[in-house]
Amino acid sequence: MLLFVTRRILFALALLLAVSFFTYMLFAMLPADPAALTCGKNCKPEIIEANRVRLGYDKPLLEQYWLFIKGFFVGRDYGVGAAAFSCPAPSLGYSFSQHECVTTLIARTFPVTFYLSLGAFILWMTLGIGLGTIAALKRGRWQDRAATTFSAVGVSLPTFYIGLLVLFSFCIWLRILPFPSYESPFEDPLSFLTTMILPWTTLAVLSAAGYTRLTRNGMLEAMNEDFVRLGIAKGLRRRTIIRKYVLRSALVPIVTIAGLDFAALLGGAIITESVFSLPGMGRMSIRAVVESDLPVLVGTTMTAAVFIVLANVVVDVLYGVLDPRVRSK
Amino acid sequence: MTKRRIIGAVSFALAASVLAAACGGGSDSGGGDGEAKKGGTIRILTSGEQIAHLDPQRNYTGSDLAFAGTTMHRSLTSYKYEEGDAGSEIAGDLATDTGTASNEGKTWAFTLRDGITFEDGSAITCADVAYGVSRSFATDVITDGPTYAISYIDVADYPGPYTATAEQQAAYDKAVACEGNTITFNLKNPVADFNYTTTLLTFSPVPKAKDNGEKYDMNPVSSGPYKIESYEVGKSLVLVRNENWNADSDELRKAYADSIVYEFGLEEATIDERMIADAGDDQFAVSEGIQPENLQTIFENGDEALKARSVDYYDPYVSYTNLNNENLSCYEVRKAIYLALDREALRKAGGGPYTGDFADGFVKPALALDYAKSTMPEGYNTDGSANVEAAKAAVAEAETKCPDVVARAKSGLNFYYPDTPTWQKSLAIWQDNLGAIGFKLKPEAVEPSQYWPTVMNPETDYDIARGGWAPDWANASTVIPELFTTGGGFNLTRNSKDADYAEFEGLVNAAKVNLDRVAQGKQWQELNQYVVDRLWALPGSFLKAQSIWGSKVGNTFQWGPFGAFCFGNLYVK
Repeated sequence: MLLFVTRRILFALALLLAVSFFTYMLFAMLPADPAALTCGKNCKPEIIEANRVRLGYDKPLLEQYWLFIKGFFVGRDYGVGAAAFSCPAPSLGYSFSQHECVTTLIARTFPVTFYLSLGAFILWMTLGIGLGTIAALKRGRWQDRAATTFSAVGVSLPTFYIGLLVLFSFCIWLRILPFPSYESPFEDPLSFLTTMILPWTTLAVLSAAGYTRLTRNGMLEAMNEDFVRLGIAKGLRRRTIIRKYVLRSALVPIVTIAGLDFAALLGGAIITESVFSLPGMGRMSIRAVVESDLPVLVGTTMTAAVFIVLANVVVDVLYGVLDPRVRSK
Repeated sequence: MTKRRIIGAVSFALAASVLAAACGGGSDSGGGDGEAKKGGTIRILTSGEQIAHLDPQRNYTGSDLAFAGTTMHRSLTSYKYEEGDAGSEIAGDLATDTGTASNEGKTWAFTLRDGITFEDGSAITCADVAYGVSRSFATDVITDGPTYAISYIDVADYPGPYTATAEQQAAYDKAVACEGNTITFNLKNPVADFNYTTTLLTFSPVPKAKDNGEKYDMNPVSSGPYKIESYEVGKSLVLVRNENWNADSDELRKAYADSIVYEFGLEEATIDERMIADAGDDQFAVSEGIQPENLQTIFENGDEALKARSVDYYDPYVSYTNLNNENLSCYEVRKAIYLALDREALRKAGGGPYTGDFADGFVKPALALDYAKSTMPEGYNTDGSANVEAAKAAVAEAETKCPDVVARAKSGLNFYYPDTPTWQKSLAIWQDNLGAIGFKLKPEAVEPSQYWPTVMNPETDYDIARGGWAPDWANASTVIPELFTTGGGFNLTRNSKDADYAEFEGLVNAAKVNLDRVAQGKQWQELNQYVVDRLWALPGSFLKAQSIWGSKVGNTFQWGPFGAFCFGNLYVK
């Protein structure tokens, strides 16, 4: 098992290095000029050029990439004289649009995205697996039809629609909840909960729909397997069979997808964060796209990549736990 | 309201009479019922992710100037915190008065008040003001700010305080001299209204020891009645009382509210719904900009209470279209383009009549002394419709006078536009309109944030580019020279090779140094007409804007010079 995990981690690190290279090159080759972005209304070519030198964008692309990687380990300095400042390691660059080191920006916005993702993940897994299980156990009955309908409706509705609908319903028309205004759960737990409940629900409704179907189908399939019939023949209790064999078997593909879905969400739930004014990484990314803020774009893309790769490793390991055949291979 | 690139900042009198005439609805209570009182929290709701710049030397847009200037940063002079005409008059702020000119307007002196302090309680000195102004010269670090100090102050090749040699710094210290509490500016040329220039926050003090260059934007030191408690981009800016602000030294700021909270990153649709609902804390909120789909609900649906807490007004901006006069060096071709345009269709694409009225030049009527109705080109339709026949006649004339320019127009004009939904719609109208007279466009979509750097680059070969401008203070000296002379900060017309340019520049220079303000106003009127007669650029609209506020906010008048709330003097009813 240790060898299996070590191999996966080494592969993940190599993959991240490759992602960092291609991401940096891809963004660096875009027509947007980061030096021009630091130069406002009174922009003159000589100012742009001076800023290009100051930011290191005058150097060859490979050297820029090397400085980027080096900065991650030893930090980077910007400016000269009294105007000099630095972004300490692990540095992902500096945003001249937001006047902050990219790492600081990510450290500030990531917790918002993390709490949003985690809460939504717990909700949708509970809802999705719960409804899927009920639908499978009550196949053909009204509970099954209700779960299937929920699934169809949930999948069909776009995030911004559900988001605005619940926001306007609960905050403007019914006035049951205050308008979302993000606070850290450690500073103001009540405000945190009242702010997050709607975005959690929005994301959960959307994602739970898919998981309901997946769980239902997985369980129905497993119920027809020989090992289940053997269990019944041996006189095992129905609850035991469902919990220990049917659900466990159905969970294997769900774990794979859930891990990747959760990791993707950590990269930023752009629409949900925008609708509910959550200062998370998704909204920061979309702003960076609009403003061609390349350091932030590279930083957030890399962060998202880290989570996707990490999730793959965790899923691989969990796969091994759930299905011993994987380990032996 | 979609984010419009805001260029320039200050306008002259958007007088109450103008506002009243302009307002298709709504009213400006100017405080409404009850006396102004201290306490409470004022909230500002915005879709923006942050204040563009809180660094005083980088702050340069109307609303941001009104916000930072009334709450955190004092300058040498300021507009009076008044509604209507009075709001466009200036008064001493850090300075005891509006300054003293000598040497025929080439030397200006300001004496600082007693008792003025930074937020840490330390006294603001002449050196702090001089240092603040010097930062604006470091255009590689202190970006986006106004450059009038660089243009006016008599010092050559000064790179700002961060990289100046001792010799360069000494030259600056001579041009901006301190003697006791008096700061003296020695200018290259006479500037009759330099004390209007000093209303810009370029002339705010900065303590050298606290200056960290680019990063000062996030933690500037306050000299006003409020200071930063917290500032998180994308979330909020919270200002609380600056206990070291000395009210006796400040005749302008009333600082009624205990705190002011700027809420960033809100969906525009959500802001409107919140403001219309007027519930809870939103009763103490203000918001600039209303979504087009809600304008009718607010101004035309007969809800008088709602209408009474909103305003539809002329903001300081004029929109126009720049023509590259090096490529389009033929008046008849420029005229043909202008007459062929269906300006009403373009206005509809941008949001309809609520966006503004058709402009007859580049100086807005609110600049009363400098504005006169222009005579428009023959064939110009005042209702905004195209006059295709007149445009075709102009093309026919051009075929004889300048066939090469016509050939260029027929083969395709480089049309640079910001890649936004509104401009995509406008592009289709432009193509259709110019197609009717046989001209073609080669559209060049530019990513919006790159638009100005792109068209400001002398190497960019555009024929047509958008423009928008507001005067930086109440004088067309911040419009005509800026937009149409080679020394101007925003001349995209490339008109320097025009046969009339030398004469025009001479007339502009004469107007700039005229100390007789009324006579100077006449000169600006004539120069505005001079440009319209040559169509170096095509007038677009005198722009309008809309704002809304909660039922428990007082002093909500739109402050003329900035076309914004006088934020620091808002109060909780």
